[in-house]
Amino acid sequence: MKKKVLSMFLVAAMTASMVVGCGGGNGDSGDGTEGGSGTSSSKKDDKTITIWVADEVTEFTKTQAETFLASSDEYKDWKVQVESVGEGDAAGNVITDVQGAADIFGFAQDQVTRLISAGGLTPLSDENAAWVKEQNDANSLSAVTVGDKVYAYPMTADNGYFLYYDSSVVTDPTSLEQILADCEAAGKNFYFDVESGWYQPAFFFATGCTCEYETDDAGKYIDCTMDYASANGIVAMREMIDMVSSSAWRQGSSLSSATDVGAIVDGTWDSSAAKKMLGDNFACSKLPSFTGSDGNTYQMKGFTGYKLMGVKPQENADKLKVCTDLVKFLTGAEVQLARYQELGWGPSNLEAQQDSAVQEDVALTALRDQMQYMVPQGQYPDGYWDPEAKAFGSDIEGKEKYSASSADEELMAALQAFQDKCISYAEQ
Amino acid sequence: MKEDKNELYAMSGFERFKYKFVHFFTGIPSAIGNLCKKVGRGIGSFFKWLGSDLKDIGVTFAEGDWKTRLSFLIMGFGPITRKLFARGIAFLALEVLFIVYMATIGVEYVSQFGTLGTHTSGFNDDGTMSYGDNSFLILLFGLLTIIFIVAFILLWRMNIRENRREELVLKSGKQLPTNGSDLRSLLDSNFDKTLLALPVAGVFIFTVLPIIFMICVAFTNYDFDHQAPNNLFTWVGFENFKNMFSFGGAGFGHTFYKVLGWTLVWAFFATFLNYFAGMAVAILINKKGVKFKKLWRTILVMTIAVPQFVSLLYVSKMFANDGMLNAYFMKWGWVSSPIPFWTNATLARITIIVINLWVGIPYVMLITTGILMNIPEDLYESARIDGANAFQMFRKITLPYMLFVTGPYLLTSFTGNLNNFNIIFLLSGGGPYTTDLTGGAGRTDLLVTWLYKMTLNNTNYCMAAVIGIAVFVATAVISLVVYNILPSVKDEEGFQ
Repeated sequence: MKKKVLSMFLVAAMTASMVVGCGGGNGDSGDGTEGGSGTSSSKKDDKTITIWVADEVTEFTKTQAETFLASSDEYKDWKVQVESVGEGDAAGNVITDVQGAADIFGFAQDQVTRLISAGGLTPLSDENAAWVKEQNDANSLSAVTVGDKVYAYPMTADNGYFLYYDSSVVTDPTSLEQILADCEAAGKNFYFDVESGWYQPAFFFATGCTCEYETDDAGKYIDCTMDYASANGIVAMREMIDMVSSSAWRQGSSLSSATDVGAIVDGTWDSSAAKKMLGDNFACSKLPSFTGSDGNTYQMKGFTGYKLMGVKPQENADKLKVCTDLVKFLTGAEVQLARYQELGWGPSNLEAQQDSAVQEDVALTALRDQMQYMVPQGQYPDGYWDPEAKAFGSDIEGKEKYSASSADEELMAALQAFQDKCISYAEQ
Repeated sequence: MKEDKNELYAMSGFERFKYKFVHFFTGIPSAIGNLCKKVGRGIGSFFKWLGSDLKDIGVTFAEGDWKTRLSFLIMGFGPITRKLFARGIAFLALEVLFIVYMATIGVEYVSQFGTLGTHTSGFNDDGTMSYGDNSFLILLFGLLTIIFIVAFILLWRMNIRENRREELVLKSGKQLPTNGSDLRSLLDSNFDKTLLALPVAGVFIFTVLPIIFMICVAFTNYDFDHQAPNNLFTWVGFENFKNMFSFGGAGFGHTFYKVLGWTLVWAFFATFLNYFAGMAVAILINKKGVKFKKLWRTILVMTIAVPQFVSLLYVSKMFANDGMLNAYFMKWGWVSSPIPFWTNATLARITIIVINLWVGIPYVMLITTGILMNIPEDLYESARIDGANAFQMFRKITLPYMLFVTGPYLLTSFTGNLNNFNIIFLLSGGGPYTTDLTGGAGRTDLLVTWLYKMTLNNTNYCMAAVIGIAVFVATAVISLVVYNILPSVKDEEGFQ
């Protein structure tokens, strides 16, 4: 009897596998160069371009892209399909399945090298790279350049942070100590995200520390300059420890999940939420300064970041051309300005930045004030953000390892360990 | 054993516990020894079987007629010439399918299986992409092909046995079954096989194959720097396992033991606290004189009605530094700064276990309520006449009965808690994080949530596969050992 069961099993397995085998093997040429999945091979024939953008710009992008394709004789038969995938998730989804991912996708700048190592981005031709350089502000170039190559198109230049505050609570937004004291007195919360490698530099860069990585053309990290383990680093870390020990301080940088906000360090993407939450008391300003443990006053600095759009590697030259022209249009002056007008996203395009409405925007003005202290965010390895910076900030937040009375040697050892780990990502 | 029992009854409660405790651990070596013996016997009998099987093949060839001998090459030839077309054609068709599969896809993938690909991808001059070998697909289809080859060998063996059987039937002068009866049997005496064909194939494709695939990934360098289809990955032997258990430097050893330790502590408390608290609540509600029994039960069961995804995320926010609880505590002046429910490691662990009580008690209460009502009332009555107090009755009657009936439940809930992803991930997300741990693990991460992070955040598939194997080993060892010493398994009729 057993062998019959076995025979049935084999029959079933063989038939099923033939089905599976055919599905996977469709695109296989003799030398096995393109073992694509069923979806990507079927995509090859139809003239559809998929775009992933954040939820709030889905409709906007769809309208713009359709207008562009319809207005061009050459691209009339092409169609777009716009799907809502947040800038934070897009990179992860592309990396998981490059061949099944969207042709064009919007993403935050910190994902660039991760995408390049996973083969998720097409490098720009010299001509297009020159176009990007000519159209956008100088800082945004550092965001899209890896090694000597340009890999993406800047879409916005508002990924920086500054201070939103309740003007009825905070009396002097230029001093961190005063903000904390005011919030404590009013029973309100001051939000600053210490768990993030993006916000931490506000303290470290303020005291003169640096942390920079250098990459080669393929997105591999070859060098890291970091001097957190120094007297300046200790001043910054002490200030962070002091801040988290205040009863007004709260962890976080997202207005939507914040409560009782007296002040928050956040970016332009939350400006409409902040206006709604703070009402008449809505105010924003550049980041405050603080008096360090050495008695000096330091202006808080930080990163300026960019939202970008990239094109997935294409096997079909025609499709690559359509994608390139479409993404150039979507990140061009006209659409960047339209995106600002409709959604308030600050443009990276030089021409769009000159627009009077952009010039007068309150949140963008605060960002511009802060901009002079900001360091354009270059490329950082994935491991810098998570786990290293996250774990370092968590230790400060947890208050278990350090307190205001911790000795300098103790902090130095922690900074040295953090620095060594960060540098290790450039030495693989 | 009888004497043991008598001695046992003579001991005091604590001594008895100590005796059983020691007895359990001293029993482990002999249990492992038994297991090894069993495995050894299994291997021995396998080789014995293999020898006799090979001999049988030889006998079939030596004693067989030309039809049988030709079937060694052309499968199903014997049955076809003996007019058993259904069987013969099935064999032949499968052989043809196999050869076609091997010629088109199989050979190519299997030949690259040793290296997992050599051609790299690259951009052409016009900016388009030419993909090279895809290590992922090579590993997957290579595995599938190897499985097919093994299956084909088994099929070939079946084909030989079929020939031998037919010859023997004919020799003894009996008739072979007709094609019609062969096919009809699939809907009659062999209907079970017809029904099972699809589920078995499904289990193979969706469960067995992925598991084998994941085990293989643990022996490769499939990580952030080696991702298909742009980059190749390859075999690295036991490198990842060495990394997982190595201390110091960038090794995962320290982190692994920390996470494993917390996983076991969590599973222990989550299981037994829930169990005893749930039982206590059930007994309380069951007590005579308690009014509105249904109301109390309904209130407790309400927590089950709300999906955990919703309730846990909400509770997590409630306990946060800027959450409702802390806001009120500060407003009322109970605390001057927020209680670090999620940012202090010890407090986070306690908070998780306590919140899990809230989630788990209703389930245990539901299960135990029914069983409690089943305990014969006369046992309690006679105990009461003998002057036993409530606690004694609980210890001597209720608890043994409950443990006996719910032993298997306790075991499954313990192994379930080892992998209780929801609670940890939705409440603390594994945090608080610390530079003391490597690989992105937080202080409340279980092995399974760490595995999730390693896959999704750090794209470290090979190390995640190693953790997966570790989780399996931990779960399997605990389940097997505990299962074998459960009273309900050892002594099935104990309470009848």
